[in-house]
Amino acid sequence: MKALLRWRWTPWVALALAAAFPMFASVLDAQYLVRVGGIIGLFMLLGLGLNFTLGYAGLFDLGFIAFYAIGAYTTAIAMRAGVPAPLALGISVIVAVAFRALLGLTILRLRGDYLAVVTMGFGEIARLTINNLDSLTNGPKGLQLAPWRPLSFVSADPNTQYYLLILGAVALGCIASNRLEDSRVGRAWIAIREDEIAARLSGIPVRHYKLLAFTLSAAFAGLAGGLFAQWEQFVTPESFVFWESILVVSIVVLGGMGSIPGVLVGALVLVGFPPIMQWKLSSEWINYRYFFFGLILVLVTLFRPQGILPSSRREAELTS
Amino acid sequence: MTPKTAAAAGRVLLEVKDLAQHFGGLKAVDQVNLTIHEGEIVSVIGPNGAGKTTFFNVLTGVYPGTRGQILFNGQELRGMAGHDIVAVGVARTFQNIRLFSHMTALENVMVGRHTRTSQFLLGPLLRTNNFKIEEKAVETIAKDLLEFVGLKSLGNELAKNLPYGAQRKLEIARALASEPKLLILDEPTAGMNPTESQDLVALVRKVRERGVTVLLIEHQMRVVMDISDRVFVFDYGVKIAEGKPKEVVANARVIEAYLGKEGAS
Repeated sequence: MKALLRWRWTPWVALALAAAFPMFASVLDAQYLVRVGGIIGLFMLLGLGLNFTLGYAGLFDLGFIAFYAIGAYTTAIAMRAGVPAPLALGISVIVAVAFRALLGLTILRLRGDYLAVVTMGFGEIARLTINNLDSLTNGPKGLQLAPWRPLSFVSADPNTQYYLLILGAVALGCIASNRLEDSRVGRAWIAIREDEIAARLSGIPVRHYKLLAFTLSAAFAGLAGGLFAQWEQFVTPESFVFWESILVVSIVVLGGMGSIPGVLVGALVLVGFPPIMQWKLSSEWINYRYFFFGLILVLVTLFRPQGILPSSRREAELTS
Repeated sequence: MTPKTAAAAGRVLLEVKDLAQHFGGLKAVDQVNLTIHEGEIVSVIGPNGAGKTTFFNVLTGVYPGTRGQILFNGQELRGMAGHDIVAVGVARTFQNIRLFSHMTALENVMVGRHTRTSQFLLGPLLRTNNFKIEEKAVETIAKDLLEFVGLKSLGNELAKNLPYGAQRKLEIARALASEPKLLILDEPTAGMNPTESQDLVALVRKVRERGVTVLLIEHQMRVVMDISDRVFVFDYGVKIAEGKPKEVVANARVIEAYLGKEGAS
């Protein structure tokens, strides 16, 4: 297992398998799973995003889904105003990052539980605002978007198109996370997570780096939200409830805080499990999904408190 | 002893004037005046609760200080953020070891290079040439420092898995990575047996040979007598004596602070 994780081609093999997955799915007559795969991919993006805040910098955030919502609504509003789809995604990222930076500037003095509670509050405020700001968001009725079909040269099926687009975004997200983690910036974040005072007195401007991690997280959420809106062609406040924030936190914690493969596996397990169960067994099983979700959390907490795939540190060449 | 004469000739590195740190009515540090010269090894001693660690915390920006001045190379440190104090050349270790437990020993030292390096987001993301060069240099310097403190073979171990004595040395290596002019050690030999203490004394001397001035809190009198050019004695937040180690231990006020009035008579 460890050797497999260390093997340098493992990520590329996984990527190739994931890219070929829609073909397998059509052979198995299970196109439904391509859609599930796309949703898992969106949550991988969210997990990778939250991993900066929670995994690297160690800041608890229970309102992360608000930035997914901001991304989704920004894309919806922009596209309805006639902005081309790719540009709308870019705007989503910028708007989500801007909101996140403003929030971070005001609340990052808080620590631990206090920060978690305030972010939770922000998540709810964001959802209620979207729900009530009829002039901009059309309230609970939601917003409809014109279809955008990316990658139509690859497949005629919209689900496959978005699956592949999201997969590409996840791959880029992993590369970016990995490169930052293994750099001066990533070391600074992890140092802050490990011991804030020692980090400051080792010369790290702690508040700046916290704000940076906190803000970067939103870039991933904004992108995921934009893709979600374009794929669904419809956004409503119901998609962005508190439960979804908990789900993203669970993905990061369960997978292994600060571990990129961990986040991917966490999303695969937690988001993929219920629909696959529903597909394989009778549809009534879906009623038990929270039961299984809880069971998985309890089992992992009991037997692997460090997460399914905990982060491992890079080993340096010491002989020379 | 040649170091003493060398020290006496050194330039003033740190000048503390009327420094105080009060917590409500408690005067944890009060009216402290002292001067440290370049190239010295200076110890701060005193009974438990004398304000030694608080004094170090004010020097390094953990506490803001209530009054007074801290002039480092003529520059006022009071009011500066902790990370900026590191940047001007003051680094420290902690009484209760504070390593980055889940990072390797080497990475701990690499973190210490933070203020001497500059790569930010784009360099790492695009893996630019400058980034690679800087990263390589950071790693080389960190390895050299691990070798300097005698931990090179343990570079890939997580800090939390290192033996106690090695953790203390790793903290020193991390502090040295920021190229300090003044290194502040808070009880570097706490919890060590005599052999380990000896080892650490030798390391502190080696640090001085690198041109780093050392200020330390120390409880083991044998270490203090052995290593210090000068000693400051604190009691109830106030500096009650200073001088060469031998002078200080003969000082009536110092004996009183440690042993009470009868001990002094």
